[in-house]
Amino acid sequence: MRPYKGGRGGAELQVRRATESCEGSRVSGAMNSSGNHNKKLERPLAGDETTLRALLEHQRAWETFATESLHMIPVLKAQMTAVTQETERAAMELLLHLRMLTSSEGEASSRDDSVNLSKVVMAMQFQDITRQKLEHVGLALDRLKAHLQALLKGPGDEEAKKEIAALELVEQHYTMEEERRLHTAALGPDYGEPVPMDIVSKEPDSVTLF
Amino acid sequence: MGKTALIVDDSPTMRQMVAFTLTNAGFTVVEAEHGKDAVNKVAAGPKMDIVVTDLNMPEMDGIALIKELRKLSAFRFTPILMLTTESAAEKKQAGKEAGATGWIVKPFNPEVLLKTIAKVLPA
Repeated sequence: MRPYKGGRGGAELQVRRATESCEGSRVSGAMNSSGNHNKKLERPLAGDETTLRALLEHQRAWETFATESLHMIPVLKAQMTAVTQETERAAMELLLHLRMLTSSEGEASSRDDSVNLSKVVMAMQFQDITRQKLEHVGLALDRLKAHLQALLKGPGDEEAKKEIAALELVEQHYTMEEERRLHTAALGPDYGEPVPMDIVSKEPDSVTLF
Repeated sequence: MGKTALIVDDSPTMRQMVAFTLTNAGFTVVEAEHGKDAVNKVAAGPKMDIVVTDLNMPEMDGIALIKELRKLSAFRFTPILMLTTESAAEKKQAGKEAGATGWIVKPFNPEVLLKTIAKVLPA
């Protein structure tokens, strides 16, 4: 989990002031009151401090979630934009190769047809690639949902702590280098618009024999 | 060629495309949608000359499938190719250690797939 950095000036400061105010009251109570009255006053104030600390912890957990979500949303958006671009590119490639297959006017050799057919089969695999990418976006959304549910239970709950920590595992679901690159790029400080996809032929490195 | 290939992939369209490529090259094809399905099919079915399997699948993934197949005497020397979108070196290493013969990154080129199969199939 990314360390919590923001928001300390707001909620935390208010709670700290409230806690200090409680402590101040306790001191002044001790100075101004007789023994029995002072003990009565101290007990509820100690309880208030615990409550305030719990509230502060809860507040921090929500703010961490907000920070994580702010990072995650552009990443997921970029992944989905990449899927759209992939689909469009594959459709264009399919059209191009189908056109070449059908308009050969008898000049194209069977070798050309075979190459074009191979390209069609390659382009058609966009369905498998986009399916996986969207599944990974779905998994990330599941993580955000689990994180939200955990926060609703309260950050002190052990199960909730596990769910909150699991949000950082989103990146581990990726299977494609393209997804990992895009994730890193979308988290970069200059990220604004969807990250363009690299159009690289994978053929030279696609086979490894052991 | 008269050989039989086992294709394991949870995506029906991918199975269709690999099957299309292999049947056009003369293979008889048996399809399975995940590792467990593949193990059940090889237990009951004919001997396979080659296995082409995806990595990430429900029930049983490609690495677990290879480990299961390598325990069977009929599959000790059968070429097994991983066909996956995954290209991370550590995953490839895991595939190699499990007993994979080769690793092909999707999208696959049918001609490249057939050439690779020709390389790894015993004459």
